[in-house]
Amino acid sequence: MTAMKILIVDDSITIRRIISTALKTVGYSETIEASNGKDALAKLANGNVDFIITDWNMPEMNGLDFIKEVRSNPIYSSLPILMVTTRGTEHDVIEALQAKVNSYIVKPFTPQELKEKIESILKSVPVNTP
Amino acid sequence: MKQQDLDNILQKAADLQVFCDYGQRTLPILDEISSLMREISPAIEDLKAVVEVAIVNIPRAANQLDRVKQATSQASHDILNTLDRMVVTLDEVLTGVSSGMITKELDTQTKKMSAVVKMLVEKSGWDADIVQLAEAWESHLQSLKMSGPTNNLERLLKDLQSDCTEIMMALQVEDITQQHIGAVMGTIEAVAEGLRKITMGFFDTGEPQELSIDLPLPVSPEMVGEQERKKMVESLLDKARAGEL
Repeated sequence: MTAMKILIVDDSITIRRIISTALKTVGYSETIEASNGKDALAKLANGNVDFIITDWNMPEMNGLDFIKEVRSNPIYSSLPILMVTTRGTEHDVIEALQAKVNSYIVKPFTPQELKEKIESILKSVPVNTP
Repeated sequence: MKQQDLDNILQKAADLQVFCDYGQRTLPILDEISSLMREISPAIEDLKAVVEVAIVNIPRAANQLDRVKQATSQASHDILNTLDRMVVTLDEVLTGVSSGMITKELDTQTKKMSAVVKMLVEKSGWDADIVQLAEAWESHLQSLKMSGPTNNLERLLKDLQSDCTEIMMALQVEDITQQHIGAVMGTIEAVAEGLRKITMGFFDTGEPQELSIDLPLPVSPEMVGEQERKKMVESLLDKARAGEL
C-alpha cells in the first residue's frame, strides 16, 4: 500500500466509493472525499493532500473552477490533479489541460487505467505535500 | 363660396375617391384574411390546447425522470453496500485460507483418520472387510486431492474478490446514466419554458409579453464510442506533453 493521501472530488457518492475502491485495489488506501469544488478547497486547506482526483460537473463549484482555484494558489501549483469525468469532447479535454490538469480520464475507467494514470503523473510531477 | 373652399371640397372628394378605390381593392383581401382567420381559428385553439397539455405534462415527465434518477442512485448505493460486505467477508475467509487455518485443520483430521484406518487394518489381522474399508478411504483421499478443493480455495476467493471489484466498476454506468438523464431533463424543461413563453405572448389577451426565448441547453456526455473517446483524450494529452496544444 502507498502512503499517499488522495482527495477524491465528485458529487456522486457512488463514484466516490467506486474510485476509493479502485484505488485500494491498486494500492492506494488513504483517501479523503469531497462532494464539490468548494468542499474540496476546505479539505485541501486542512493539509496533507498529495494528489487530487476530480470530476467536472458538480454543483456549487465545478471541477474546472476548482482546478483553476487550486492552480492560482502557489502552495498547490504543482499538486498533481487527475480529472475523471464523463465529458469527453476534444474541447473539454483542451479546456481542462489549459486549466493545468495533469491528466484526464473519461468514465468509465478500470482500476488498472486509474493506476497507470496516477503512476504516469507521479513520474512527471514529484509528490509535493503542501 | 370662395375658390379656396371649392378647391378644398374638390380635394376631399378626390381623397374620398382614392379611399373608395383603395377600399375596392382591399376589401377582397380583408375578406380573404377574415376567411383565413375563421379557418385557422380552430387550429390555433387546438395548438393552444396541445401546448397547454405539453406545459403540464413536460414537468411531470421531468419529475418522473428525476424519480428514476433517485431510484437508480439508491439501487447503486445498496449494491455497493452489499459488495462492500462481500469483500469484507471474502477478506476474512481469504486471510484464514492464506494462513492455512482451514487446510491445516483438514490435513490434521485427514491424518488422524488415516492413522485410525491403518490401525484397524493391522489390529484386524488384515480382515477383508477392513482392508476394503481402507481401500475405500484411500480412494476417497485420492479423489479429494484430484478435485483439490482446498488448493483452489485461495484462488477462487481471489477470483470472487476480483468479480466484486468488477461489479463495483460497472456501477459507474449509474453516474453516466444520471448525467444523460440530467441533460434530457434540462432539455425538456427548457422546451417547456419556451412553450410557456410562446403561449404567454401568443395566446394571452392580457398584457403583451416579451417573446425572448433563450433555451440554455445542458451539457450532455458525448455518445461516441468509448474507445474512440479514450484515443482522442490520449492523443490530446500527448500533444499537451509535447507542448503542441
